[in-house]
Amino acid sequence: MQQPAFDEGKYKFFDVNWDAPMNTVSGITEWSRDINDVYGLTTWITVVVFFAVAIPLIVTLVKFRDKNDGTVPKQFHGNATLEVMWTVIPVVLLLFIAVPTWRVLFKHAHVPEGALEVEVIGHQWWWEFKYPQNGKIITANELHLPEKTPIHFKVWSADVIHAFWIPKFGGKMDANPTAFNEDGTPRRYNSLNFMTPAVADAGKKGGDMYQGQCTQLCGASHALMRFNVVIHTKDEFESWVKNAYTPPKVETTLAQAGEQVFARCQACHTIAGTPSEQIPGQKIGPNLTNFGNRKYLGAGTRLNTQENLATWLRDPSSVKPGALMPAGLVNEEEITQVSSYLRLSTVKSF
Amino acid sequence: MAKNLPKTGLISWLTTVDHKRIGILYALGSLFFLIVGGLEAILMRTQLIAPNSTFLTGDIYNGFVTMHGTTMIFLVVMPLSAAFFNYLVPLMIGAPDVAFPRLNALSYWIWLFGACLLNTSFLVQQIPAVGWFAYANLTEKQFNPTHSVDFWVLGVQVVGLASLIASINFFVTIINMRCKGMTLLKMPLFVWTTLVTQVLLFLSLPVITVALVMVSFDRTFGTGFFNPGAGGQVVMWQHLFWIFGHPEVYILILPAMGIVSEILATFARKPLFGYTVMVYSSCAIGFLGFAVWAHHMFTTGLGPWATALFSAATMLIAVPTGVKIFNWISTLWGGHIRFTTASLFAISFVAMFTLGGLSGIMHSSPVIDTQHQASYFVVAHFHYVLYGGAVMGLFGGIYYWYPKVTGRIMNETIGKLQFWLYMIGFNLTFFPMHFLGLEGMPRRIYTYASDQNWNFWNFCATMGAYVTAIGGALFFVNMFASLKFGKKASDDPWDGRTLEWSIASPPPEYNFAKLPEVTQLDDWWHKKYTHDGKRLTPPKQPVVDPKTIHLPNQSFWPIVLAGGITCIASGFVVPANGLYISIAGVALTVASTFGWAYEEP
Amino acid sequence: MSDAAHAHHTTTGIENRKFAMWVLIASECFLFGTLIANYLVNKARSISGPTPQEVYKIDVTTLSTFDLLMSSVAMVLALHYCKEKELRKFQFWTFMVVLGGLIFLGFQYHEFSTFVLHDGLGLSTNIFGSSFYLLTGCHGAHVTVGVLWMSSILITSLIKGAEWFNSEIVEVAGLYWHFVDVVWIIIFTVVYLFVYV
Repeated sequence: MQQPAFDEGKYKFFDVNWDAPMNTVSGITEWSRDINDVYGLTTWITVVVFFAVAIPLIVTLVKFRDKNDGTVPKQFHGNATLEVMWTVIPVVLLLFIAVPTWRVLFKHAHVPEGALEVEVIGHQWWWEFKYPQNGKIITANELHLPEKTPIHFKVWSADVIHAFWIPKFGGKMDANPTAFNEDGTPRRYNSLNFMTPAVADAGKKGGDMYQGQCTQLCGASHALMRFNVVIHTKDEFESWVKNAYTPPKVETTLAQAGEQVFARCQACHTIAGTPSEQIPGQKIGPNLTNFGNRKYLGAGTRLNTQENLATWLRDPSSVKPGALMPAGLVNEEEITQVSSYLRLSTVKSF
Repeated sequence: MAKNLPKTGLISWLTTVDHKRIGILYALGSLFFLIVGGLEAILMRTQLIAPNSTFLTGDIYNGFVTMHGTTMIFLVVMPLSAAFFNYLVPLMIGAPDVAFPRLNALSYWIWLFGACLLNTSFLVQQIPAVGWFAYANLTEKQFNPTHSVDFWVLGVQVVGLASLIASINFFVTIINMRCKGMTLLKMPLFVWTTLVTQVLLFLSLPVITVALVMVSFDRTFGTGFFNPGAGGQVVMWQHLFWIFGHPEVYILILPAMGIVSEILATFARKPLFGYTVMVYSSCAIGFLGFAVWAHHMFTTGLGPWATALFSAATMLIAVPTGVKIFNWISTLWGGHIRFTTASLFAISFVAMFTLGGLSGIMHSSPVIDTQHQASYFVVAHFHYVLYGGAVMGLFGGIYYWYPKVTGRIMNETIGKLQFWLYMIGFNLTFFPMHFLGLEGMPRRIYTYASDQNWNFWNFCATMGAYVTAIGGALFFVNMFASLKFGKKASDDPWDGRTLEWSIASPPPEYNFAKLPEVTQLDDWWHKKYTHDGKRLTPPKQPVVDPKTIHLPNQSFWPIVLAGGITCIASGFVVPANGLYISIAGVALTVASTFGWAYEEP
Repeated sequence: MSDAAHAHHTTTGIENRKFAMWVLIASECFLFGTLIANYLVNKARSISGPTPQEVYKIDVTTLSTFDLLMSSVAMVLALHYCKEKELRKFQFWTFMVVLGGLIFLGFQYHEFSTFVLHDGLGLSTNIFGSSFYLLTGCHGAHVTVGVLWMSSILITSLIKGAEWFNSEIVEVAGLYWHFVDVVWIIIFTVVYLFVYV
């Protein structure tokens, strides 16, 4: 039985909300502001052209209706001056769109100096994030970034084509599958570069958690392949980096039992500091280190509550059609145990 | 044998080589699939009416997305355009039939069988769910192990073959079978847009043929064309697909542009404004159409230089497209405009296509496109040009030429009601999609959360779909009821300008008792009116004994050969013994070819 | 009008079927162009398996290319004698076209089986192999169709004798044959001669 995909939120039939999670016109980063500048200019030009078409059309339809008197109008064939005018003027208008476009395109095409490198790997149907410059951090579905820092995203996919998009920050980039070198690095990847916004700005427009979503059809649960971005102050980010890839502190008996259950999950999942790290190669499932820290589960679709986690563990494909994780891997008692282990948290939740 | 086939009844339709009958067959087939594609859309919109719906989820929804797009493009707009090419081109150029009548029939049956092959996927519940453009490597066996993708690949391959064969036929017909005096620049604009469309078809279809074979081989024989692990590249599929795919969109729009040009000139009672420019701009669109494909790939990591070049070419192609809009308005300006259902659809084409063209300009800028790509903004754009444009134009054509084909006029009251329901429904569905795109709603998602601010516009869009459905139902009622109850039509009920209005409605099987001789563009109009608008009496068609006119014989080889080709394709989608079925198909195809070659035409 | 009557008048003066063949040739240029482009992109991208330098035997391929060229000469002669209505010479040279085509196909079969059995290069061994077989296989299929066509022309002539000199059909078949030959010249150059480019 297919469950509704998302937690039921506040359903508002009609709302005007420019700060909605996926809105593209908010202009929080410099890149999205540049895009909106080009877009604004283009919109004005198209509005002008629209009226240049609509007004003559409407006037014509009103003024030249057939009067049913059997007469035939003057049969003229063309007008060279008009033809030249309405060929040349559009070319000029297009230049007004083209030149700013190319300026912005080349401005954001190179990797900025001192950029923080983040690797983004698409999987069916979750996002893997790696921070090669900050130790060995591997995380999934929740992207933590420092404010006012240029980021160089290296984007690729482990299976089919996905696309990485955070609408409020700017445009998207396809995550293409690639062959791999001997050391596991991708032969080819796409680059996406931009500067993150300031936390102060971020707070004004929709909080500090931004939504992203996959935008390239990638299979049954393409609609449910979301992720969230958290913008931190530089200090907060330092502290996040310190704790992001630390092993869980198992202190209760319930959690200990959960640790035993998790041993069965290590073929597909990894948690830092556990034997699961010894198993080499790319794993099918997301890295679950600090899972308790994440606001959402299921790639940004459900809140990370005990109940949602239990529903997932019972039958993942009822939450996400086609999910590669089979149902019935754990019984009810094991669900309670492993949930308690997984939801151990090292830093406060956001 | 061919000489003794019955001239009436089912067999006469199955063995027909008459371009007019083939045109009717294409029209009926495509209108059937319009209902199929429309139902697919209604079901999708029903799923999206509210957030978190579980009506159609996961790959079932993705299957509908795929089939809706594939059906509307290959099984509705292309064959419906072909219906017009078939029926009208020989009449408009004063020819007795197309260059290769049996080849013409072959195209139809290949198309019909290919359409059935594609839709068999529903019957065996292996619906392709990879989108109408089937990006590799989602199409690899690893990610789609059932035959669903094979149904799509072979279905498109087969219907593509039908178009390829027809394009050669029509190109030769238009260039080589014009009546005396009809130089190229005296042909009706519809014949010109048809000509350019055929060139686009026979040059672009081979490219997708290769790409489809590559996917098929990856899935069936384990080659690695689109498998990065084997050295292949997924982006190669996108390049090959869009080198076909972009000319394809001009293939979809040019026929409707030609139809609209004819309708507007007739109902304004004035010649098409700037005929020569319209001809050259159609050719320019065709030529430039091959230079812009990568604007569908702005976010695939081409690099800024390639991106900038393709963006420039895309903006450039807007110019010949845009001048047409002004030419159409100028055709109406100064005319005596009659508002019939046909002219309403043609006028709405001008308006809706403009809107679609303007949103296209927006995403011709890769900077803007980086936000628009794969969002509902693009869905809005292409529906405005393909539905508000091509489909509306084609409906106009149906209302306009129905009297010529059937001898009756479609009911104008129901027609105008359908038109308004379509306009309201269409705009209610697709205008809000611009907003949904700006609000970040991606394409091809089967559901969405309730806090995304997408609820209201999705609801509107679904309501629009239901309104359109009512209009669609009215259309079919009108089309069939008018056959019996419609007002009888004269030879020239609209006071038209082109040669098809100079013969009876419906025309005799041989078309022209005596092949016409023309001296100018819109020759038929000039036989009815002097240059200052005084009425003349046009010459009537001479009376001839039909038995003295030799017509090509009917033949059953086209339908049999089409069966052979489909048999070859079927081998790829059956659960077992596919190889033997394909081999049997090859044998039938080869045998039919010989039977055809040695038959008396 | 029947196909026979069309011979009377066309707007360009070129017979319909000949014109159609030119259009088909234009279309096939894009078909082979795509296959050749795909080959050029992929020939050096294999992860493992045989490379072009390892498997090509240019001395043998030169022979097969020469054979196909000679079959085109035979085609020219066949058409000439058809127009001249010299039955035996027409039939002889048509037979030489068929023979040339069959010999070419024989060479292709030999090359493919050597690659598969001796060099371990099958259809799905690596991407170079897949691209190579796709291109040359498609060309070979076109040669096969040509051989069937010329064979049926030969057989028709043998059966009907001196009353059947349909030079229009022979000319159209000749156009097709020459096109398939030209494609092979391009393939020979781009695939075999450009091994080190």
